[in-house]
Amino acid sequence: MILAYPQKCVACRLCEGACSFRHEGAFQPAESRIWVHDFVDEAVYVPVACFHCRDAPCLRYCPTYAISRDPLTGWVTINEDTCIGCGMCLVACPFGAMGFHAEKNIARNCDLCGGEPQCVRICTYGALEYAEVEPIDWMARLDQAERPAGAPG
Amino acid sequence: MPYGWVGRVLRVNLTEGSVKREPLNMGWARQYIGGRGLGTRYLYEEIDPRCDPLGLENKVIFTTGPLTGTFAPTGGRYMVLCKGPLTGAIACSNAGGYWGPEMKFAGHDLVILEGRASRPAYIWACNEQVEVRDAAHVWGKTTAETEDVLRAETDPQARISGIGPAGENLCRVACIINDKSRAAGRSGVGAALGAKNVKAIVVRGTGAIQVADPRRFSELVFQSLSGPGGPSTGVRALQGLGTASTISFTNSVGILPTHNFQKGQFEQANAISGPAITQTALRRNKGCYSCPIGCARVTEIRGPARWSGRGEGPEYETLFGLGSDCGVGDLNAVLYGNYLCNLYGLDTISAGGTVAAAMELTERGYIPLEDLADVGVELKFGSAEAMIRCLDMMAFRQGRFGDLLAEGGYRLAKHYGHPELFMGTKGQECAAYDPRGAKGMGLGYATSNRGACHLRGFSLDVEWLAPREARLDPFVAEGKAQALKHLQDRTACTDSSGICSFIRLMIAPEQLVPLYNAATGANLSLEEWLMAGERIWNLERLFNNRAGLSRKDDTLPPRMTSEPLSGGAVHGQVVELEPMLEEYYRIRGWDEDGNPKAETLARLGLA
Repeated sequence: MILAYPQKCVACRLCEGACSFRHEGAFQPAESRIWVHDFVDEAVYVPVACFHCRDAPCLRYCPTYAISRDPLTGWVTINEDTCIGCGMCLVACPFGAMGFHAEKNIARNCDLCGGEPQCVRICTYGALEYAEVEPIDWMARLDQAERPAGAPG
Repeated sequence: MPYGWVGRVLRVNLTEGSVKREPLNMGWARQYIGGRGLGTRYLYEEIDPRCDPLGLENKVIFTTGPLTGTFAPTGGRYMVLCKGPLTGAIACSNAGGYWGPEMKFAGHDLVILEGRASRPAYIWACNEQVEVRDAAHVWGKTTAETEDVLRAETDPQARISGIGPAGENLCRVACIINDKSRAAGRSGVGAALGAKNVKAIVVRGTGAIQVADPRRFSELVFQSLSGPGGPSTGVRALQGLGTASTISFTNSVGILPTHNFQKGQFEQANAISGPAITQTALRRNKGCYSCPIGCARVTEIRGPARWSGRGEGPEYETLFGLGSDCGVGDLNAVLYGNYLCNLYGLDTISAGGTVAAAMELTERGYIPLEDLADVGVELKFGSAEAMIRCLDMMAFRQGRFGDLLAEGGYRLAKHYGHPELFMGTKGQECAAYDPRGAKGMGLGYATSNRGACHLRGFSLDVEWLAPREARLDPFVAEGKAQALKHLQDRTACTDSSGICSFIRLMIAPEQLVPLYNAATGANLSLEEWLMAGERIWNLERLFNNRAGLSRKDDTLPPRMTSEPLSGGAVHGQVVELEPMLEEYYRIRGWDEDGNPKAETLARLGLA
């Protein structure tokens, strides 16, 4: 999974460019699977991508069982063929980390670029880290969900 | 879609309220790289260089480069071109932030504004939707307020570039501000936008930019990020302290302009230095779009202070403009002045230079006391109150004296009969390097096509900052013309590509050209690349010559050519401009009056 350190992020959005370039073959941040939430006045910048939670709410609420956990990697994976684009997973995700491909009408999440995430590779600030950790309970990621100091309430 | 481009130009006729999309002239895009070069080509084609910069005939062009919006290091720049209200010469001001890439994602490489709106207007461009909208409700508001209001009524992710009260009031030192704190600063481009009755251009887009050779492009970008030995000294300095890191260096060698360039060292330099900012005001480091350097500083005024506020900056140039040049060593005052300039939309270099000129004029008794009544405090070097007060008067043209300040330092000094106390060239204030201690910089100020400017050919790189074996003696005039020409041509290419001037601290031109080639599918050699830069430089010069500028305008203030500096390593120096200028014209292939010769134009494909 991608571990983000908002304290180190400078909101340059190189991660969004790298993600879209890898997945879409073009620079198109609107189609990126990682986003930098930018609270300009508060000077808080928070990169967010799928946490591949254990007990993942997206997986639980998917009506067509299109979201599953890869038995080998433990990653939360979306089956493009069975996803019907209903958007339940987008609502269920506590981090707002589920994305949506409007053209294909399917949900999409961070696929870790198959184990070599480009966003981590391009981040010179050390704000992103690739961790091959056991998928963790989303409750345990509350440190990431908590409001960073100074962020709007 | 052409590689590196959207391939589309948005043309807005404000008089008619009509919008039109047309294909990007790809022939020009190839010949002039993009951004600055391409914008100059459009402007040269479409307006009479003799026109009134604040009149109907002038056009304001927002441009991007082929690397803008890609993940090329620092690939987030856009440029604003017009005939400069401050200078009467070609104006091209360059800004980072997020606006430029967003404009491209919204589907336009260039926006050309023509005519004049009958009422205050803003332009809303979101993918296929383009509207000229009423801006009466934000007219008079600061840049930050305007951004909040316009974002709320368009899209939460919209990006805004526009003017504050200074631009509305046609203040000749007004800039254009995007993302609240990034400035397309120089030559009064804010006034040109104000003269069009345009408050802002608001963009939001979901489009894509493709590159010709994705694999190679990616390889080159990642290579540039992980060079052997890690980041260069320059990059480390910028990451550590931002551009403010420069203060301690320029002050110690004696080229930090102080008291309107009367001195090269400032007693209170430490109080406005990079470490001082970090210790007392820094909230966060920030980076512009696609920038791996991240030199921006998000700051606030803390503790019990006369002033309060939050924002970005100050940059090195601001620390000089509002600080040393005005003799102000109170960091909180400089921070506050910086925030005001961002909110009002004032260029901190020219605003500071104008105030400094006003201070010297006053101290020498050249300004009648009754003219100064509106200032309310004594206008003297070192007075933070006076500096702040002047910024207010300037932006809002308060009273007769405010009206004069708004015209910039040149017109102010001339009005009081002492143009020699204006520290600039072509009506534009000099930047924060005293050329007496870096003579190539002096030639650079004199020959810069947009008026005095440090960025057109940053000769400090070769005169002070290069490793010793590659350095040129900063006090020797000979040989500077050749070095400067190379820097000017090279920078024209960098600007035009849509990347930041600081790219030079990360990658050499030898690495940059392949990056440009991989993005656009071009196959330029380094020589051809530099020749494109030379072509851009000469086209800018042609524009200026047609506007009536010539050798008589390639000058420096007499102070720099005849009053020796004292103190520091540069003690006793003046700039020997004439011999450098002659050498420069010869190397450029220009005649004695500074007009490009026919064979030069033919060689560059400009005939």
